[in-house]
Amino acid sequence: MSARKWIIALIATVALLGWPWLTEDKFLHHVGVLICLTSIAACSLHLIIRTGHVSLCHTAFMGFGAYGSVISVMQFGLPWPVGLLIGTALAAGVAAIIGPIVLRLTGKYFVLITFLMGEVVRMAIIENTAITGGSNGIFNVPPPFPFLTSNRAYYYFALAFAVFGVGLCARILTSEFGRAINAIREGERLAECSGVPVIRFKVIVFVIACALAGMTGSLQGHYIKFVGPDAYSGFQSLNLVVMNVIGGMTSLAGALIGTVFMVTLPELLRGYVNLQQIMFGAILFATMAFLPGGIIEAIRRIRALLKPSKPGLAT
Amino acid sequence: MLNATILGQVFVNGVSLSAIYILVALGFTLLFGIMRVVNFAHGEFAMLGAFALFYLMKTLEWHWAFALPVGVIGVAAASLVLEWLVFRWFYQRMFESMIGLLGLNMMMMFGAVQLWDVHERNIPTMSGDVLMMGDIIIPVDRLIVVIIALTALAGFYLFIRHTRAGLAMRAAAQDLETAETQGVDTRRTYKIAFFVAILLAALAGALWGQIYAVSPFLGERPLLMAFIVVILGGMGSIPGAALGGVLLGFTESFVGTFYGAAASAFLSFGVVILLLIVRPWGILGTPEN
Amino acid sequence: MTGLLSVERLSKNFGGLQAVSDLGFNVEAAEILGIIGPNGAGKTTAVNLVSGVIKPTTGTVTLNGKDVTGLAPHVLVESGLVRTFQATTVYADQTVRENLMRGAFRQIYPGLIATLLSTPAAREARVRADAHVDEVMRWLDLGRVADHVASSLPYGIQKVLGMGIGLAAEPRLIMLDEPAAGLSAEETDHVRDTIREVRKRGIAVVVIDHNMRFIADLCDRVLVMAQGRELAQGKPQEVLRNPQVIEAYLGKRYAQAQH
Repeated sequence: MSARKWIIALIATVALLGWPWLTEDKFLHHVGVLICLTSIAACSLHLIIRTGHVSLCHTAFMGFGAYGSVISVMQFGLPWPVGLLIGTALAAGVAAIIGPIVLRLTGKYFVLITFLMGEVVRMAIIENTAITGGSNGIFNVPPPFPFLTSNRAYYYFALAFAVFGVGLCARILTSEFGRAINAIREGERLAECSGVPVIRFKVIVFVIACALAGMTGSLQGHYIKFVGPDAYSGFQSLNLVVMNVIGGMTSLAGALIGTVFMVTLPELLRGYVNLQQIMFGAILFATMAFLPGGIIEAIRRIRALLKPSKPGLAT
Repeated sequence: MLNATILGQVFVNGVSLSAIYILVALGFTLLFGIMRVVNFAHGEFAMLGAFALFYLMKTLEWHWAFALPVGVIGVAAASLVLEWLVFRWFYQRMFESMIGLLGLNMMMMFGAVQLWDVHERNIPTMSGDVLMMGDIIIPVDRLIVVIIALTALAGFYLFIRHTRAGLAMRAAAQDLETAETQGVDTRRTYKIAFFVAILLAALAGALWGQIYAVSPFLGERPLLMAFIVVILGGMGSIPGAALGGVLLGFTESFVGTFYGAAASAFLSFGVVILLLIVRPWGILGTPEN
Repeated sequence: MTGLLSVERLSKNFGGLQAVSDLGFNVEAAEILGIIGPNGAGKTTAVNLVSGVIKPTTGTVTLNGKDVTGLAPHVLVESGLVRTFQATTVYADQTVRENLMRGAFRQIYPGLIATLLSTPAAREARVRADAHVDEVMRWLDLGRVADHVASSLPYGIQKVLGMGIGLAAEPRLIMLDEPAAGLSAEETDHVRDTIREVRKRGIAVVVIDHNMRFIADLCDRVLVMAQGRELAQGKPQEVLRNPQVIEAYLGKRYAQAQH
């Protein structure tokens, strides 16, 4: 890495680790936790989007992780790390089973089927009141560890997992596996005829992404101390898609930018829930109509305007 | 449990639900078939139709025979503004349309909440009478709903089959480039298709509001139903929308009455998921290349 | 009489429509076989059947003595069979180099864990692939446009790049679907010369086209198809004298073109 990148990385690290000590505001720490957790969910969804599939059931897998973990801990008295593993494994397992089937579907059909599947999961959660607490959910979920009492402490906990989760996504995308994924998205037949096992790779990505979602679900459930079916609805999955779209679907940075945008904006417009939603709707529309590449594309275009390059060469 | 009264009720329910679902699905499938747009905001136009009827019948106290056509046509006409502002950016861009119109959905839903707040309203019933045919009890307002819906469907069929505009729409749906070279005015055809689609949705919503309560969130279920019907029948297929609507309406009525709403939902979703896996182009659709 | 590729009694029935019936041919190493026929003759379907894009209804495909009938395309690449496409020939938004790197997937990819951990083996594979891609670029004269985006290149060069993506996978046999379609006379010559280069390196080539002159000039042997069936097979000169072939084609047009 160049010297400039090292400096940026250093500053970023110091900022990420240091800012919680600049304020005692528990609410700000809370927002920090939310950004960390949501970024894992948005970035793992980004992996799936990079294979050319937009999933509208990503939060359902968070639900598997959340309920799996919470039930293991509260009903069976298992320690949280085991609960985390069980929740993650449950999400990964379901993904491994349905992945090979649904990933054969293209574009709009994949969106529709994931939306319906997410709804089925949500309805199943509501119906099975004995296990899941039904539409009321499960309250008084214990924290992962007793020392995680303050929001600030949880922030560092969540940050560690975020670094792992987002880092894993980044590593996957920059590896040769990532190159194959890009090839699949841009020309599936072409990639297959170069030897890329398309379905197998799509399933691998799907399983990893859903496992990360499951992990996030567990972390979130034990943080908010509550799990309920509405947090894992198609609407919430949509929010994750929106984060990717607004930030820019072509790069992982887009997912991160979208996350920060979508998590902080409601906080700025707190108390004006309607206006929030209307604004989000307007931004969604405007982005897809005029700037489908999202914020990342806007940045790229601005940069291109500032330094013109020869036609034909890649910038 | 299987006596004539219950069966009669299930049947009447089935017919009225089917008719409404077909109306919603038709508009949805029109927009997809002709403009390749997946209208995630379709339910909101149904909601507007319901509110229009509510306002005209409750506040202005019009008779339903005036309120219904005026309200519904009014909504469709007013929506042409949205066609110009929002929809035309997404024609022939399916993926962008999905997400962009989702944005419109949010704007309309929460705009409605802002304007009219969340509480439920009830449209005054069209008729309090009841028809007795032996053991079978038919509420007259349901009957009116069915007759209006069937009339609208018949009208739509005649329009699409026997008018120049209808022919232009069918041509554009099949092959846009060829249609253009044959002299079809794409822009005008799109506007007409949009108007018709929203008209059907608003009518469906108004009739829906007769049966269920009216609120800014009214549009969610019709949208979901439109999806299911259109997947069942085949996206872009008009006979498919009719078939899908009948299947869904009767399934919901029958299973819902005897086994509960949850069972009905699971069954419908389950069947659609299965269909998407083995035959995603629907019962009457054609596989894309 | 088996060669590198051996196809026997290959047929495909699409729910009532018999697209291909009873097709059989062999291809040897360093040989160019042309498949020609009027539009709708089933040429592309035949290639799709052999390359695993579609599963045959009956018949066998043998590659190097191994039965590969109905296997998926990516598996066939492992065995050395590669094909190009008529329409989407390249990754439009990527540079020439990136296009070829994607074609060299087999050479580069060391396994999921290895690539994630960037093991020494993975890094070695990358170095080898880089060198290999450089070589392909040299051979196809694409070096000077290595960093140009594919969609900015002239169509003829894009077609050559499409071949390059296939060749980057180090095949023993490459099937080219209409490699000269839509090209000018000069570009067509360039494609023909490139294909001859490919043969010089010992790679077997199957070329599909409907341009009789292009095929006759280039190929060692020709298979003529019509309505899903073989009409004639043999050396270009023999096949062209076949009255049925002349009938299926506008024979006059060819005779004139031959001056």
